[in-house]
Amino acid sequence: MPFDYHRPKTLEEAWRLADSDAEARFVAGGTDVMVRIREGKIAPRALIALSGISDLTRIDVGPPLVLGAGVRVAELQSHAGLGRALPVLGQAAAQLGSVQIRNVATLGGNLCNASPCADLAPPLLVHEARLRVASAMGTREVPLASFFVGPRASVLGPGEILSAVVVDAPAPNARAVFLKKGRVRMDIALASVAVLLETEGKHCVKARIAAGSLGPCPMRLAKTEAVLTGQALDDRGLALAREAAEQEVRPITDVRASADYRRHLAGALLERGIRALMNGAQP
Amino acid sequence: MSVTLSFEVNGEPARLSVEPHARLVDVLRGPLGLVGTKEGCSNGECGACTVLVDGRPVCSCLLPALEVEGKQVTTIEGLVGPGGKLSEVQQAFVDKGGIQCGFCSPGMILSAHALLEQNPSPSDADVRDALTGNLCRCTGYAQIVESVQLAASTKRQKKGADHA
Repeated sequence: MPFDYHRPKTLEEAWRLADSDAEARFVAGGTDVMVRIREGKIAPRALIALSGISDLTRIDVGPPLVLGAGVRVAELQSHAGLGRALPVLGQAAAQLGSVQIRNVATLGGNLCNASPCADLAPPLLVHEARLRVASAMGTREVPLASFFVGPRASVLGPGEILSAVVVDAPAPNARAVFLKKGRVRMDIALASVAVLLETEGKHCVKARIAAGSLGPCPMRLAKTEAVLTGQALDDRGLALAREAAEQEVRPITDVRASADYRRHLAGALLERGIRALMNGAQP
Repeated sequence: MSVTLSFEVNGEPARLSVEPHARLVDVLRGPLGLVGTKEGCSNGECGACTVLVDGRPVCSCLLPALEVEGKQVTTIEGLVGPGGKLSEVQQAFVDKGGIQCGFCSPGMILSAHALLEQNPSPSDADVRDALTGNLCRCTGYAQIVESVQLAASTKRQKKGADHA
């Protein structure tokens, strides 16, 4: 399917192009968009590539941490300052696709694609990331938790571009981990879970849990968090948390896995994540 | 409507007219005649179409050709030295049986080449990790990992000799 391909150097130029062609769509790395075009699922008349806009590729480790939406997944994996500021994002980046995909795919693309399985979403959800959404009219900030509205759907309006992801400094004693279960190493997630904990001794003081491929979009598990908060993280506490997560997720059955198996994975990954954080080890 | 694309391929400047929706693999295999690059799944999953852009492996089936404007692209043809001498990685794949049907080999070898540029002494796990995006339906991967390790050791020895 033929399409036109624009490669603006600035956001202003990108907005002008979008304004002049209502059927054009923005694209970042294109690793999802190009496949969807080939499969005939979308047939844009023109693509406006955001890859040439240098403003979108900055990393400021902050605080607050500001990540340009155009930062490649491979850089999230290897950037030393980011690895110190937000190690859980690098863990997720390392589990996204293959080397070839990570060299091209971007942070913003992974989020704007709004797939329920987006690997970068759960770690950013537990860190309560905010998204800077820019248009010719100005910039607004949207909490990541309210960015996704369903499978492949986000709150982005026409002409709006995700420009950056902002994360405040986590509490000094907060630790986070991301776990993903795929059929093979480079598969998309059958289920993924990010866990952020603040603990005192064996007690959980604060918990934030986010899940991928376990509902219509990546989501926080507020009820599970409530069960964990103030809970002793012993076998009984973990069993309660596990049960809460299995109840709270809303998985579907598809070609990759049954809803029942995904429900089981939600609990299993949560327990494994909490135990890893309690042991101070990487899973 | 065609547009002009200028980039460097295997060390030589290339300037040609391309359709805006052309993928890099189309341009390499078509007008440039570099058919060492294979197209397998066309979905970014098999890695047969892997080429290096500024030294990094990418799937040329997913990359719009216009994305390589001003960049350096290396295909499997670019690894061969003067007089057709195979690179260390290519020779190691021959010596260790890392090649059977050969369809995955260009992509596999370019991914391995990029790994060894970054990490001259990879563990077997590093090798397998670097090759996650390259599927082989013949060898079962064991010989491929051995090939990459042989290439790594050959390159290290050579470097040691150069420094001696």
